Amino acid sequence: MTERDEIDVLAGEYVLGTLEAAERAAANVARRRDPALEAAIAAWEARLDPLADGIVPVAPPKSLQAQIEAQLSLAPLAPLVRLERHARRWRRAAIAATALAASLMLAIGVRELAWRQAEGTYVAVFQKDDASPAFLLTVDLKTRVLSVRPVAAEPPAGKSYQLWIASEKSGGVPQSLGLIERTAATTQRALAAYDRASVERATFGISLEPAGGSPTGRPTGPAFHAKLIKTDG
Amino acid sequence: MAARAQVASARAAGLSLLAPARPSAPSLSSLMQRIAAQDRAAFSALYVATSAKLYGVILRILRRHDIADEILQEVYVQIWERAAYYDAAKGAPITWMVAIARNRALDEVRRKKPLSIEDAPEVMRMADQEEHPLDRVAKRQELARLTQCLDALDSNRRDLVLLAYREGMSREALGQRFARPPATIKSWLRRSLLQLRDCLDHDRA
Repeated sequence: MTERDEIDVLAGEYVLGTLEAAERAAANVARRRDPALEAAIAAWEARLDPLADGIVPVAPPKSLQAQIEAQLSLAPLAPLVRLERHARRWRRAAIAATALAASLMLAIGVRELAWRQAEGTYVAVFQKDDASPAFLLTVDLKTRVLSVRPVAAEPPAGKSYQLWIASEKSGGVPQSLGLIERTAATTQRALAAYDRASVERATFGISLEPAGGSPTGRPTGPAFHAKLIKTDG
Repeated sequence: MAARAQVASARAAGLSLLAPARPSAPSLSSLMQRIAAQDRAAFSALYVATSAKLYGVILRILRRHDIADEILQEVYVQIWERAAYYDAAKGAPITWMVAIARNRALDEVRRKKPLSIEDAPEVMRMADQEEHPLDRVAKRQELARLTQCLDALDSNRRDLVLLAYREGMSREALGQRFARPPATIKSWLRRSLLQLRDCLDHDRA
């Protein structure tokens, strides 16, 4: 088989759905890097698409439409970013963030690049997409000072970003840490009220709220969440 | 160029089949443009026009309503998020949407242990009652050509391709169906795919 045949067979099996789990996962990654594979997949999708017409349409449950539309406001922001699995990408993002906002690392007191930070510094990135971190959040567990630096994150007119912590201390209920007022600078918050262990395990959230903050004391707008990861281990 | 124009008219015919009660409804392409600009009304219209098709595709692969419900939600949220990246030059909106739905359903079904067919007897009945799928919209020229090329394969190779695409059957499940080891299925798939590609691309070359 020629190289083109190899690619076409892989892409064809991908589209048919006959790749095994590991092969499929590998193809999902490879297609993003390999334009030839991506094009071969698109070609098979077009070739085989008429077969989908033979499948009997089934009306989904009525309630689904409202459920889906309720999730759409989340779309411009990012879903949960689990950094444990994204450490390498984060390093690239951190470099990109440095380029985007040269003051960033200095502003949050990180003089070394992130993965060489002093012990006790934890970091979470709230990303808008793979390429651009929207918020970089660091916590120094020794001083329990939280710093959050927006990068490429302008709230829509009439809206504010609000910072939240959900920890064991509050039974997992989000507590406001205040608004992120300035999008071009670092906002710092003292977490003195939280012990080290609960900060370490807490979930942090940033939600989009009406200007001036949530009227209810709980997140009301689209939100994204992250947990801290250690940067020195 | 003539072939392309025919393809376009076949697509238009397909769209009118999708929404016969709404002949003046905006095309899916114009809806996609509005959705890319975050138009929620356009999204609702797209959902109404396409959700039964995508749900049918997803349910056929996943065979469980509860999982299919979850996946359909993810698929439409993804459509909303990615609408700006949809490239009309690369295919019709419905092709793009079906690909998203199938990929998501296949990721899910491959991740999990295969479901027993007994888990979904209603799906079996549905499959039994269904008219031969290739008879359904044979007017469409793309489908006609695909049918021709599938028919050129050996009969069980044709079924192999249909079962994989529609039911999301794994090589192992196909092996059981055809009483062959998965390695044989793999080589059948290779040869069938290459033959299919050459047959389908022949007229366009």
